[in-house]
Amino acid sequence: MKISYNWLKQYIPKAPDANKLVDIFNYHLCEVETAEKKLDGDVIFDLKILPNRAHDLLSHQGVARELASLLNIKYVDPTPKYKIPESKSTNLLIEIKIDKCPRYMGRIIRSVKVGSSPDWVVKHLESIGQRSINNIVDAANIVMFDCGQPTHAFDLDKIKGGIMVRDAQAGEEIVTLDNKEIKLKNFHLVIADSKNVLALAGIKGGKIAEVDENTKNIIIEVANFDPMSVRKTAQALNIFTDARKRFENNLSPELGSYAMRELSALIFEMCPGAIFEDIVDTYPKKQKEKKLSFSANRISDILGLDVSVTTIKDILKRYNFTYDLVVGVPLGTPTTKFLMTVPPMRLDLEIEEDMAEEMARILGYDKIKGNIPKISFKPKQNETYAKICWAKNRLLSDGYFEVMTYTFCDKGEVEVQNSASDKKFLRTNLTDGLKESSKLNQLNALFLGINQVKIFEIGTIFKKTGEEMHIAYGDKKEIKETTLEEFVLENSSSKEHGYFSAEKFLVLAPSRFQVSFKEDFLLQKKNKNSSLKPLLFQMWSLFPFIARDIAVWVPENVKSSEVKNIIKKNMGDMVIRGPELFDEFKKGNQISYAFRLVFQSYDRTLTDIEVNENMIKITNKIKENNDWQVR
Amino acid sequence: MTDENKQKGTMHPFSRLTNQAYQAFSDMGFEIAIGPELENDWYNFYVLNFSKDHPALDMQDTFWIKNGKHPGSAVLRTHTTTVTARAIEQAGKAGRMPCAFISIGKVFRNEATDITHEMQFFQIDGVMVGEDISLADLKGVLTLFYKKMLGENVEIEFRPSFFPFTEPSIEVFAKFKGKWLEMMGAGMLHPNVLRNIGLDPAKVQGFAFGGGLDRIAMIKWGIPDVRLFYQGDLRLNQF
Repeated sequence: MKISYNWLKQYIPKAPDANKLVDIFNYHLCEVETAEKKLDGDVIFDLKILPNRAHDLLSHQGVARELASLLNIKYVDPTPKYKIPESKSTNLLIEIKIDKCPRYMGRIIRSVKVGSSPDWVVKHLESIGQRSINNIVDAANIVMFDCGQPTHAFDLDKIKGGIMVRDAQAGEEIVTLDNKEIKLKNFHLVIADSKNVLALAGIKGGKIAEVDENTKNIIIEVANFDPMSVRKTAQALNIFTDARKRFENNLSPELGSYAMRELSALIFEMCPGAIFEDIVDTYPKKQKEKKLSFSANRISDILGLDVSVTTIKDILKRYNFTYDLVVGVPLGTPTTKFLMTVPPMRLDLEIEEDMAEEMARILGYDKIKGNIPKISFKPKQNETYAKICWAKNRLLSDGYFEVMTYTFCDKGEVEVQNSASDKKFLRTNLTDGLKESSKLNQLNALFLGINQVKIFEIGTIFKKTGEEMHIAYGDKKEIKETTLEEFVLENSSSKEHGYFSAEKFLVLAPSRFQVSFKEDFLLQKKNKNSSLKPLLFQMWSLFPFIARDIAVWVPENVKSSEVKNIIKKNMGDMVIRGPELFDEFKKGNQISYAFRLVFQSYDRTLTDIEVNENMIKITNKIKENNDWQVR
Repeated sequence: MTDENKQKGTMHPFSRLTNQAYQAFSDMGFEIAIGPELENDWYNFYVLNFSKDHPALDMQDTFWIKNGKHPGSAVLRTHTTTVTARAIEQAGKAGRMPCAFISIGKVFRNEATDITHEMQFFQIDGVMVGEDISLADLKGVLTLFYKKMLGENVEIEFRPSFFPFTEPSIEVFAKFKGKWLEMMGAGMLHPNVLRNIGLDPAKVQGFAFGGGLDRIAMIKWGIPDVRLFYQGDLRLNQF
């Protein structure tokens, strides 16, 4: 939801500066996705209003009211300033035919003049990324972004008879304001006159009764629709509108009265010659008053923070929440319970836990200090995890490298209904993925510095009969796959097998597990004491590498490190691996050292020619030593 | 020089992280829980107080299974909260209260992939239930956890959030190398969830948390692209 700072300030003139507000939002209300500074000094916040507050915070007034209470600053109520002329009697008929419309308010306004909007309206709309259309449509939009209630205006002269809220009949049609023809189904909720469907209730208006430049008389609609029904209809038709977003989050029908007043005043401001008729308010499902009971003790217990009765009283006062205090003496000690009347707009407040969240959010979660709980619980060994660890350690020490591959593939026994990718099946084995992985890693064997690519994966596979935990391992010649159970059964001794259900499996599988920890610890220690860089991922180059070997005969008293140093000094800056001594043997009083170098660039494909140049440079340097010889 | 039979293999970064995380939580008294990747909609959604019309049930987020034994009811789990929910339900039936469980496993979301989104990723999920478990306990546990995972200097903080299965709900942020990063969602288990798994919210309360393991790996080691994890590429095994 885009919220303009200047717009907010109309209601809370004492609002802190925009930078401070960003923190206040993030820590006490909801995430600020962006805060964009405008040339005219305004700041536009894009707020990620949380779903449980979407019914009262998708509006400037809603956010301003919340901030006023949160920060204990003045909220300027705009309603006394609204000017609406005395209304005349009306013959507008409104009929609600179904139970999915708790309230429908309508009002005829005659002799309006459709034209452009005043500057402030255009500016308000543009500040939050909306386009000005004409004064009547703009007025309806301003009301929605200001108080949160979607409204609509129909051209009265294009309507036959009264207004009806009903389910569509299968086969009926509507052309929406954006010129889309829609065939309706019987669960779609619509607004209709005696002949035609005029609008998709709470979602989008129709072309038939559109307000245009020739419109003289209008009906304004301020209604409340069942959230599930709006959502179902909009979803089926794949229509996303600001109205839908608000209705599907459940608005309070009480909001209607405010919105009707605001919309009427706005239209009067834009069309001073307009004649207002009486409001027709059909309100079959009046919102019931809700009471909520909670105690300071319980809230403190949930939060792990002492929240006193006084603190709660102060917050309730700031939020204009009315309450009674009920003092009970259940076990001799008096306890104070709050019995609060939930304001109609706060549909999210239902249970004591909701009030715990209110208190924590308003006070700030930083007030809660961490505590390590001590509980009397005896954890059991997880047998599956113990087996996974055992199998992993077994294969790692046998020289197998672990990989993970995708669960999705293009054929199998279990299929997903819909997917963002073209791979709609779940794997029936690990072997297929492992084969691909093996091919890829063969190509990089020299880069990786491994002689033989041996890999494994432990993971879930999916068959018609259900899922199974499998293990697959192998090399380029052969891959073996079996269930984890079988693998463990076949490869472990009976004594080892008993450990899987033992109390503490760390006794069983210490090797890899604890070594990693020690390594980490040592590394961290090292980093503290020296300026070594922390352990960080090194992204590989996407260009091909070239590997070269060089073997040198030297007198037997020459150490390999001497040869290595000369290679290092002359190999250039494209070596990403090596020189690595991979072979040495003695013959007479001479010794041969063989080194491997891997060349690769991060920004281009290296050519044989440039790598050869480097190799020649190394060879020449080595030859400068009389009794050294490159093989 | 190298005897090929003596060369030891390396593990996938997730295995390493999983071991570390399990160790950290085991030290704090949590029991490891593992559960199915193919779930029914009860454990994936409804037990967790999602209502039937919750947007998360929309096709774009969830992988529903075609022609299952019970059509429409089987899903690829969208979080490992399914596992911890099953675990506390079992513990409750067995009279093992208070209790604490930790589960790390693969989860699935039906969304387009990019450098920070994958259709499959790993989630770490934990719960602790008892008579007086509070949000302060959650803060203590997660602070210790992130210190063990990311280093002693790490701080954490809570910010407001919303989840159907927790009340209050919070977002957990960790300060790593001077920046506040969003790490996981958490909160106090909603009374409806406790009721759904056969516990009495008047007698017990508890916290729950869940977040991506992939994200911890990417932050901890500076891995730039989440898609690198599932290529079967050994160049990833650097740790």
